[in-house]
Parts: sequence; C-alpha cells; structure tokens
Amino acid sequence: MRDYLLTLVSVGLAALALYFLTVSEGSSGLLSALTLIFIWGIAAISLNLINGQLGILSLGHHGFMLIGGYVTALLMLPARERRPFRTRLLSDWARNHLDLDKWLRGLGLDVLANSIDAKFIIALFIAGLAAALLGIIVGAPSLRLKGDYLAIVTFGFGEIVRLLPNAPEVASFTNGPLGIKGIPGAAGTIWWTFLALLLVLWFFSRLKFSSYGRAFEGIREDEIAAEAMGVNLAYHKILAFTISAFFAGVSGGLYASYLQSVDTQTFNFFVTFFLLVAISLGGLGSITGALLGTAIVVLVRVYGGFLEQPNPAWVGYLSGAVLMLAAFGFSAYIRKARRLRPVIEPKHFIFGAVGAALLIVTIAFFKQPWMQQTVQFFGMRKMLLAVILILIMIYRREGVMGRAEFSWKLIFGPREDIPTDEQRQQDAWLSNPDLNPGLKEEGDDDASA
Amino acid sequence: MTASKISSRSTIVSLLIGAVLVVLLGARINSLENYTFARVVQDFLNALTLGSLYALIALGYTMVYGIIRLINFAHGEIFMLGSYFAFYAMTLTPLPWAISLLVTVLLGGTVLLVLRSLFNLEEPKRTFVLSLIIFGGTFFLLTFRKMGWVEGLALSMLATGVAGVLLEAVAYKPLRGAPRESMLITAIAASFFLQNFGQLVFGARVRGFNAQTILNKPLNFHIGPETVYFTGILVVVPLITALLLWVLNMFVSRTRLGKAMRATAQDAEVAQMMGVNVNQVIALTFFIGSILAAAAGVMYAIRFGQIHPLMGLMPGIKAFTAAVIGGIGSLPGAVLGGLLLGFIEIYVVSLFPTLSAYKDVFAFVLLILILLFRPSGLVGEDLTEKV
Repeated sequence: MRDYLLTLVSVGLAALALYFLTVSEGSSGLLSALTLIFIWGIAAISLNLINGQLGILSLGHHGFMLIGGYVTALLMLPARERRPFRTRLLSDWARNHLDLDKWLRGLGLDVLANSIDAKFIIALFIAGLAAALLGIIVGAPSLRLKGDYLAIVTFGFGEIVRLLPNAPEVASFTNGPLGIKGIPGAAGTIWWTFLALLLVLWFFSRLKFSSYGRAFEGIREDEIAAEAMGVNLAYHKILAFTISAFFAGVSGGLYASYLQSVDTQTFNFFVTFFLLVAISLGGLGSITGALLGTAIVVLVRVYGGFLEQPNPAWVGYLSGAVLMLAAFGFSAYIRKARRLRPVIEPKHFIFGAVGAALLIVTIAFFKQPWMQQTVQFFGMRKMLLAVILILIMIYRREGVMGRAEFSWKLIFGPREDIPTDEQRQQDAWLSNPDLNPGLKEEGDDDASA
Repeated sequence: MTASKISSRSTIVSLLIGAVLVVLLGARINSLENYTFARVVQDFLNALTLGSLYALIALGYTMVYGIIRLINFAHGEIFMLGSYFAFYAMTLTPLPWAISLLVTVLLGGTVLLVLRSLFNLEEPKRTFVLSLIIFGGTFFLLTFRKMGWVEGLALSMLATGVAGVLLEAVAYKPLRGAPRESMLITAIAASFFLQNFGQLVFGARVRGFNAQTILNKPLNFHIGPETVYFTGILVVVPLITALLLWVLNMFVSRTRLGKAMRATAQDAEVAQMMGVNVNQVIALTFFIGSILAAAAGVMYAIRFGQIHPLMGLMPGIKAFTAAVIGGIGSLPGAVLGGLLLGFIEIYVVSLFPTLSAYKDVFAFVLLILILLFRPSGLVGEDLTEKV
C-alpha cells in the first residue's frame, strides 16, 4: 500500500515538474531531451524483454520501429499531404485508402475521427500490431537457432525491413527514399510520450513478475531445465518477440510523430546499437536499468553536441594528448594500487609516447595555420557510445543495475545486509554449541581429527 | 578448419537444387533475346572479380570464427582501413624526408614489434635482417617516388594487418572466455567505432580512388558486334586472389604456426596443453585475416574507383554471408562461398534487371535462409550445440 502511494506521489511530482517545465521559458532543449528519453525508453524496455529477460541477443529492433513509424505516418498523414506531388512515389491506392480518417468515418465513428488524439492512439495501436506481426516472423527462427547465429538472423531481418522501403515495388507504400513528411506531431507534446512510458513501465513490471516473466527468465537461465519444468519454449519465445515488437512499433510511431517525418535512414542499424548501449549500460534484464541507461545515452547524445562543435585544430590535438597521458597515468595508478610490478607495463608506454608526441607537436606547431584552422569532429558522440559499450563489456558486463530493479524497498525498506534481531537470534542459536547439538558433534570430530 | 566429409544425402540434395537452378537459368537465358555470348563473357569476368573479393574478405571472417567463435563484425571496417591506407600511400608520396623518417620509425617500429611477436623471431640475426628490410623498404617507398598500386597494396596489407592485431588486443583479448553474445556486442561496437573514426580522420566524403595504372586502362574487345568492357583489374584480382590463397594454404598446411592454428581451431584448450601459444595464434589469425581484407579493400577500390568510410558495411555483410554459405570455419568453404555469392549477385542482376534494387536484400535473405536451414554451410562442420 505504502509503495503504491509512493509511486503515485512520485509520478504526480514528475508530472508537476514536467508541467512547470512546459510553462517555463527556455526549457525547450530539456523538454525535447525528455521526450527523446521517454520514446527511446519505451524502445529500450521492449528490447530489454528479449535481450535481458529472455536472454536472446536480438539486433533487429530498428526493423520493428521502422514498421511502427511508417504505419503511423501513413495512417495519420493529413489530407493536404496526400496530394500526388508531395508524395511522388506513393501509389494512388495507398494515398487514398491507407487513411485512418476515412476508415473511422466509414465505420461511423466521426467522434474519434474528429479528434487527432484519439486517431493517434488508434494509429499507434495499429502500428504496434503491424510490428508485432513482424515480431512473430522474426521470433520464429529462435526456435531453431541460438546465440550469435540467431543474433545475425535478427540483424538480417532488421536490415531487410530497412532496405525494402527503397525498392521500387514497395515504394508505392513507403514513398521510397524520400520518406513520408508532414506527419502531424501529436507526440511532439511531451505528455503523450510521458503517459506512454508510464503505461509501458506498468505493463512490463507486471509482466516481469508474472508467470510469463518467470518463464522468460527460466528460458534465459537454462532452456532445457525450463522445458523440463513445463515451460513451452516456442510459445514463450514467440510471445516475448511479439510483445517486444509491439512496443517497439509504438515507440517507432511516437518517434516518427516527434520528428514529423520518417524515412529509412531514421531507423537504421544505429538505432538498435543505440538501444543496445542503453540496456547494456543500465543492466540487461532490468526494466528500470534500461530506462536509466536510456537517459544517460540520450543525454550524451543531446548534450554531447559540444564535442562536435567547430574548434581550432589544436584543441583536438591537445585533448588527444591529454586523453593519452591520462590513460597512461591511470594505468600506472591502477597497477600501483594493485601492487603490480612493474608499475608501468611496457606496452602502456605507447599511450605515454603518443600523448607526449601529440603534446610536443601541439606546442611546436602551434603557430602554423593548419593548427589554427577550424575543424569539426563529426561522429565523436557515436565513437564515445561505442567506447562506452566496449568498456561495459570488458569491465562491467552486468551494467549499472545488474538484474535488480529500482524499488521503494531499496530506499526505505529494511536493509538486507544488516541482520534483524530475529535473524541475530537464529545466528546465535546456530553458533551456540549448547543450543545446537549438531555443531557440537562437528566440533568434536574436528578435534579428534 | 578442415574439409569434413559431406554426407551422400546432402550431396544429392545439393546436386538436385543445383540442377534445377541450372535448368531455370538456362531457360531464362534462352528467353532473353539480347543475352549474347559477349554478355556471358562480361558477366563471367565481373562475377569472378567480385567473387574473388568476397572470398578474400570471407576468409577473415571464417578464420576468426574458426579460432575463437567470434563473428568479427568489424572486419568490414578493416577492409575499409585497408583501402584508405593504400589511398594515402598512393596520393601523399613522395613525402619530405623528415616526415618520411618519422612515419618510417613509427610504422616500421609497430610492424616490427607485431611481426616479432607473431612469428617467434627472437633470434637476433633474423630480427636484424627483418628490421633492415622493413625500415629500409618503408623509407625507400615513402621518400623517393610516387607509390604505385603494387607498393601501395603491399604497404597497406602490412599496416592493416597490424591494425587488425591491435583491434584484437584492445577490444577482443580482454573478453577471452566471455559469453559469445558479449563478444559479438563488442565487435559491433568496434565496427561502429571504426566507422566513425574513419569519418573523423579520413573525412566523411566519398573520395575518388584514381589508380593511374594499367589496371584501369580500358582494353575493350569485341565478340561479334558486341563490346566486352575489359580492364586489367578484371584479370589481376582473380590472379592475386589465387596467389594469396596459395600462400595461405601453404602457410596453414605446411608450417608449424599453421599447424598450431589448425590445432587451436579444433580445440583451443587441448592445443594450449600441447604447448601452443593460443594468444599468439589468435593474434596471427587476425593478422592474416586483416591482410587478406586489406588486399580485397585495395583491389575493390581500384575496381570501383571510390572509397568512403562506410564502404566496408555491405561488402562485409556479403562476405560474411559467403562465409556462412561455405560453412563458417572452413577455408575452402569461404572461397567457394565467396565465388558463389559473386556469381549469384552478378547473374541475378544481369538476368533479372528488375531485381537489381533488391541486390542487398537478396544477400540478407540468403544469409537468413542458410543460417536457418543449413547452418553448417556447404562444406562446414556441424556447429549445433549438443546437450
């Protein structure tokens, strides 16, 4: 009861904070960052179901999101955007018939058709269903394959889905490489994404502790044992893929609506990579961890822009030198703390040497025009994400949260590492030879031996 | 890494499928009116070239998978690095002697260190001769004249081999013994890192790779009224590939290190107990794989005339498909798969021009189908997990 109240209060507080953010001036950057966190959070949580809870490495999530994005875009496209010259490759049939507005009016549901919000919810639902259909197809190979082969198959599916919209025959539905523009930005309001994320959090936390969630985790730990315990492998695997794809489709729809446009480059393999970094960082198998990881990764992406600002070239050389020297010093520090000899490992001299060389070059050629010219380091953020992922894999494979979930017990509950009085009494009983005859005998045995 | 026995049933099935395909192709060729003998020759040459390139890249995938069961996602980026190294070697030379000296010391030193650790060259005399060759050769190549494609190819192969060894040491070595999924994730991250590193260092734009060589000179000839568009590269690629394959085969089958490699592929643990330095063998595998990828990268750049930092993506995926078709872990399988994929790609586009938009999709479909229905490939060993 207390936990529910706390949850309600904190959600209310978050909503209040969001409200103040939306009314205050100059917070649009933060708002769009939050919107992105919510959208990507949904996608990351859904990917976490397969990668973390089911224990199958899936690399095709961008395909699900793409389907969701395109379906939402087509269904929501307003009448004025459906003119032939705007959407040159879209066939007349697709232009005229794939229209949620018409469908609803045809069913006599004018009330829904008049509200863009209601239409958006329905479109998102249909987008989710379309993605879920693909999820069944992508999930089917998991019955035959395992491990990295399966990962490659899911990657292949994702890439096929990404490449298909550009093909001439399919372009009549997807507008080809031009993509679909002019989607009404209903999700641009942060409230939509916030509500969607709350729903997803609720659903996935319920799912995780249900019999289905236990079955997924059983499959992750040991398929054969799970099957022996009566878990239907095929059903549960496909189910996980379907659920995950559904919510990926929803988040794809939200993202398309946030951008107000969708094309094949919106959902390329980088999307899956990005989500993979997020859930690995947060902790595979943890829903709140996935959200935390997403927040970190999105913030790196949004606020890491300064890394790619135009700068004089010497800034780059200097930061390279500082990084190299720092790595050199850090390795020496670690080895010293661990009492390893020699303090400086011979091959780590390369960091020091390169760093020193860069420093010397920077100082020696500081006046040269090529040192002063302005350059931009595009791709620094992506490189940073890649480095983060490699470091996680090497040094902390379980991520920040591991498989633990955030819970109120964690903050307010009794601490589990300090024994309660009752536990102490039990321990005393266990260790007291007068009260515990088993202990006495053992001790005697030891003494005689 | 050994060609295993193929069961008679699967042979019959493969032969049947092959026969059906041949009949279908024949029918299609018959129905195409403008499919003349000249086009047959042209397609054959193109397919052989493309297939050779795929085979070279696929060898790197298959060797690494055979040794440490890692799908080296970053292999396509190694291929990209190879073409860029050659590009810079061929456009920036001749360098002023001071810079050339600096580059020689840095590059030659790294190459020498890596080669020494890979090939057990502790003997002082050998090391001296080797360092003389490497330092002298690099300095000579960099300083005196504009580098041609042969020198560019050689230098790029060495440098890329070293880059591959460094990649293994930095990203994969700390993960020895980790779950295979973790290693795959690391490989994907390494691939992304190298792509963006390439964009940062080499620039994101497409560059023309104008090897002013005899290789790109049009040597068109006629068969009847039709022209066959022919350049030297169409012959050189298969020849160099054949040469490299011969050297590789000799290395793997005849030398002590090759034997150590085969042993490690069969069972790393037992090989280690028998005194094989497994770390060295793994580094060596990456070195050889990267060398082959660099050769493919340079020839790919000469063949198609342009390079960019994301160029490794599709050839990488296709070569991986080729490795899977052949049976991942098997060297002859990778070559067979590469050639097969090259021929399939060229002939599908040539015979069914409307399908050319699905060229890339087709590679993925093939990959999925093979993984699903014959994960051991054409000649590979069975890798399915046993209880």
